[in-house]
Amino acid sequence: MMGGYGDVQLLNEDGSRLDGRKVDEMRPVSIEAGILPAADGSAMVTQGLNVAVAAVYGPMEAHPRKIQRQDRAVIDVRYNMAPFSTSDRIRPGFNRRSREISKVTAEALESVVLVERYPRSKIRVEIEILAAEAGTRCAGITAAAVALADAGIPMRDLIVGVASGKIEDTVVLDLDKAEDNYGQADLPVGILPNTGEIAFLQMDGDLSPDEYNLAMEYNFKAAKEIHEIMVDALQRRYQGGEA
Amino acid sequence: MVQLVPTLLRQELARLAEEDARIDGRGRWDSRGFNLETDCLYNAEGSAKVVLGGTVVYAGVKFELRTPWPDRPTQGSLMCGAELRPVAGRKYEPGPPSPQSIELGRVVDRGIRESGCIDMESLCIVPGEKVWGVMIDIHVMSDQGNIFDACGLAAIAALRTAVVPAERFDVGEDHVLGVKGTPIMASFTRVGGRFVYDATEQEELGGDERIHITLGDEGHLHSLQKGLKGAFTPAEFTEIFDVAQERCVELRKLVAEKEGN
Repeated sequence: MMGGYGDVQLLNEDGSRLDGRKVDEMRPVSIEAGILPAADGSAMVTQGLNVAVAAVYGPMEAHPRKIQRQDRAVIDVRYNMAPFSTSDRIRPGFNRRSREISKVTAEALESVVLVERYPRSKIRVEIEILAAEAGTRCAGITAAAVALADAGIPMRDLIVGVASGKIEDTVVLDLDKAEDNYGQADLPVGILPNTGEIAFLQMDGDLSPDEYNLAMEYNFKAAKEIHEIMVDALQRRYQGGEA
Repeated sequence: MVQLVPTLLRQELARLAEEDARIDGRGRWDSRGFNLETDCLYNAEGSAKVVLGGTVVYAGVKFELRTPWPDRPTQGSLMCGAELRPVAGRKYEPGPPSPQSIELGRVVDRGIRESGCIDMESLCIVPGEKVWGVMIDIHVMSDQGNIFDACGLAAIAALRTAVVPAERFDVGEDHVLGVKGTPIMASFTRVGGRFVYDATEQEELGGDERIHITLGDEGHLHSLQKGLKGAFTPAEFTEIFDVAQERCVELRKLVAEKEGN
């Protein structure tokens, strides 16, 4: 995914980004809850050109028995990109990238779901990326949070996936595809807006301590905005329209 | 996951069948209503979403450049695959492609391929060297019955709206794929002893064998498949075949509407 930077211009002369966004502006986000009738809870998150869908099944009996925990539920996450979600077709099936994202996403969700309420059970979270244009793991986390809430599973907070990064030595919020390919750093996080905690953290590239602080500031600001959209999606589903 | 077939459900379906009724109140040959949306996925060269009751599927078309098979140097290729991932329902588990998902992909594939709606010669760029490979991937997101018809419809609608990305591959200008026909699948399931069209998940759970019929524009058969345990009579086939003709004409109109012609 990393391209050589420096040879591609990502900022306009006036300091705006190629798609016209300001440095601290995210792509438009829309969320719909309860879109998959077969699932116990579901959500679709559209962020720019990204489309992420999450389905939740459970809590259900954990099997095989060796995965059971006597004192809590286990959360089984699968992050998967559809073959047609990217410019070049992806061969169906797991790869190293999707396995790693699934693992750290599961651990992030275990930090917010009240897993101790459901000993010996399993909660399945299926994240399917239908269109990918950078930032899909974050859109997937946001979708998973709304789907878990839609399934009625108690949580400490609604976790929000957001990312900031660096392009042309400038910290920007929510990298798009070109910025991700030719940028200098990417900092995807999962934020709990009400407690101010971070339950998901990854980063690659090069950031100074000051740049890290600014990127995180952008992330927290964006998380608040997305959180409102998540709450709105759930209210539309359960209050039949106006919140 | 092991699926139990509740005896009570089977008894109820049999009782309803005697009264010529269905569990959700529909007539024997009624569908739940197909909702079709095309061009809905940014990175796919052709895409479609079908919602049929509680069943939701997506199909996306991608192209690749490849060398032709040695015995067919002037022909491109077509592949249609379906994924029944755990997202689709409680009964689906992770792992390598299941026999069910392979059957689903292959039945849809045969209907499209055998209808001849794609001219394989038109996918040739340089004979013996370079041809287009067309790949239709079907993603089942929610299974509440009759995923076959939903997948068949999504696949042909995605294909018919596909644009060949020639510019990106540096082999000319982008152009529409040019699909000549609209093969449509109609599926019937034996429920309570007799066949019904567009079975729900409950009817499938408490039912028996299913029959899938794919018909082309002229009403010719292009693909047939009988699945699951059970056997039927020629008279029964004649009955459902007549219904299939009608339903396929209706759905072909729906696809045409979504193409805007």
